[in-house]
Amino acid sequence: MIEIRNAGKKYLQGAREVHALRNVSLRIKSGEFLSIMGPSGSGKSTLLNLIGGLDQPTSGEIFMDGRPLHGISDDELTLIRRRRVGFIFQFFNLLPILTAVENVCLPLLLEGIPFTRIKPKAVLLLEQMGLGERTEHRPEQLSGGEMQRVAIARALITEPAVLLADEPTGNLDSHTSEEIFLLLSNLNEKGQTIVMVTHDSKAAAYGTRVITLKDGALAEDVSLGGAPS
Amino acid sequence: MSVKFAMLGILAEKNLHGYELKSSFDEKVGEFWSLNYGQIYSTLDRLEKEDLVTHDRQAQDRRPDKKIYSITGKGRTELEEWLSTPVHKVRALRDEFFIKLVFMDRKDPGPILDLIEKQKAHYLKQMNRLTNRKVSLKKRPEHADSLTAELLMDAGLFHAEADIKWLTLCASKIKATMGENT
Ligand SMILES: Nc1ncnc2c1ncn2[C@@H]1O[C@H](COP(=O)(O)OP(=O)(O)OP(=O)(O)O)[C@@H](O)[C@H]1O
Ligand SMILES: [Mg+2]
Repeated sequence: MIEIRNAGKKYLQGAREVHALRNVSLRIKSGEFLSIMGPSGSGKSTLLNLIGGLDQPTSGEIFMDGRPLHGISDDELTLIRRRRVGFIFQFFNLLPILTAVENVCLPLLLEGIPFTRIKPKAVLLLEQMGLGERTEHRPEQLSGGEMQRVAIARALITEPAVLLADEPTGNLDSHTSEEIFLLLSNLNEKGQTIVMVTHDSKAAAYGTRVITLKDGALAEDVSLGGAPS
Repeated sequence: MSVKFAMLGILAEKNLHGYELKSSFDEKVGEFWSLNYGQIYSTLDRLEKEDLVTHDRQAQDRRPDKKIYSITGKGRTELEEWLSTPVHKVRALRDEFFIKLVFMDRKDPGPILDLIEKQKAHYLKQMNRLTNRKVSLKKRPEHADSLTAELLMDAGLFHAEADIKWLTLCASKIKATMGENT
C-alpha cells in the first residue's frame, strides 16, 4: 500500500548537513499496524512525515497505492494528504476556539463541505470514541485523553487509507494511554492501516510489526504474532 | 515462597481437591507460572505438615477416596500476614542474559549486539502475545477473574518494557565503548 524506496532526507542546519534519513526502504501493507521506534533524533518523525506527505524526500521514492508522493507539486501533495492520510500528534493540535464536533469536522470544512452535512458523521465518530456526551465541549474543557480521542475522530473523518500517529500518548498517563491504544487496536482490527511513532514498547505490542531506526537508517524489522483473536 | 501462599490464597476462597486446585492456580497465575501435579501435591504435603492446610476424605465409587483440602486457622493468619507485608527482594532480573554479558568477547561487540537484538525481538513478541490476550479479555469483562488476570499481564508488560529499555541502553553503551564495528 505504501512503498518507500531508498528514501533519504537531508536538512541544512546552518552550514552543516544533517542526514535525518539514509537510504530507507520499506513496504507497508494494507491492514498493518506498524510501530516506528528508535532513539531521539533517529529520524522517526521525519519518516512519518514523508509517509504522510507532510514533507518530501531529498532522494529516493515514495508511493502510496502505486501513486508517487515524490517529485509532485505541493498542491497535489496537499490533496493526497487531506484525502488519504489522517494524523494524530502528541499535543493533539485541536483548535481551542472550536468545539469537539467542530474540530472533528475541520478537515472537511476546509474542503468547503457544509458543516450540517458533516456533523452527523462527526457525532457518530465521537460516539465511537466514547465521547457522545462531550461533542459541544471545547478543548480546554476536556482531559488529555479526551482531547486525543477527539483528535483520532478528526483524523478519521476523511476515511483515510492510513492513520499516522506521532507519539500519540507522549503526554498521557499509563491508564489513559492504554485506552487510546485499545481504540487504535480496535480500528486496526476493522482494517485500518496504522503507522505509529512511539518510545513505548507496551504501545508497540498492540501492533503487528515494529521497525527500529538508528541514525536515520532502518536497523531492525520485527514482525509480531497475529492480531487479537 | 509464593507458591505456598498462592495455594493458601486459593484455598482461602474455597475447599478444593488437588485437581481443582491446579486448575484454579493455572487460571489465576498460569500465564507466568507453571506447576505440575507433583509440585502441587508436594506443596500440599508440606502445608499439611506445617498445619496450614488439612484435608477430608470423600468416598468415591470404585476409586480411591478423594482428598478435599481446606485452609486452617493458622493458615489464614499466615496468609493475611504475608498479604500485608511488602516484598523486599528485588526480582532476579535478566540473570541468564547477564551471565552472557559477563562472558562476551571484549574485542568484537558484534555477537553480543546481535544477541541483544534477538532478545529484544523475543520480548516484543512476548509482549504482543500478552497484549492480544489482554485485548480479548477486555471483550468479556464479565469473567470473574479478568481484573486480576489483566493486572498480572500488566506487570509482565511493564517488566518486559523495562528489560527492553535496559537492553537498548546496553547496546548503545557497548557500541560507544567498544567502537562501531557493526
Ligand atoms: N526541519 C528541520 N530542519 C533541520 N533539521 C531537522 C529538521 N527536522 C528534523 N531535523 C533533524 O533530523 C534528525 C531527525 O529528526 P526527527 O525529528 O525525525 O527525529 P525523531 O526520531 O523523531 O526524534 P524524537 O524521538 O526526539 O522525536 C535530527 O537530527 C533533527 O535535528
Ligand atoms: Mg519525533
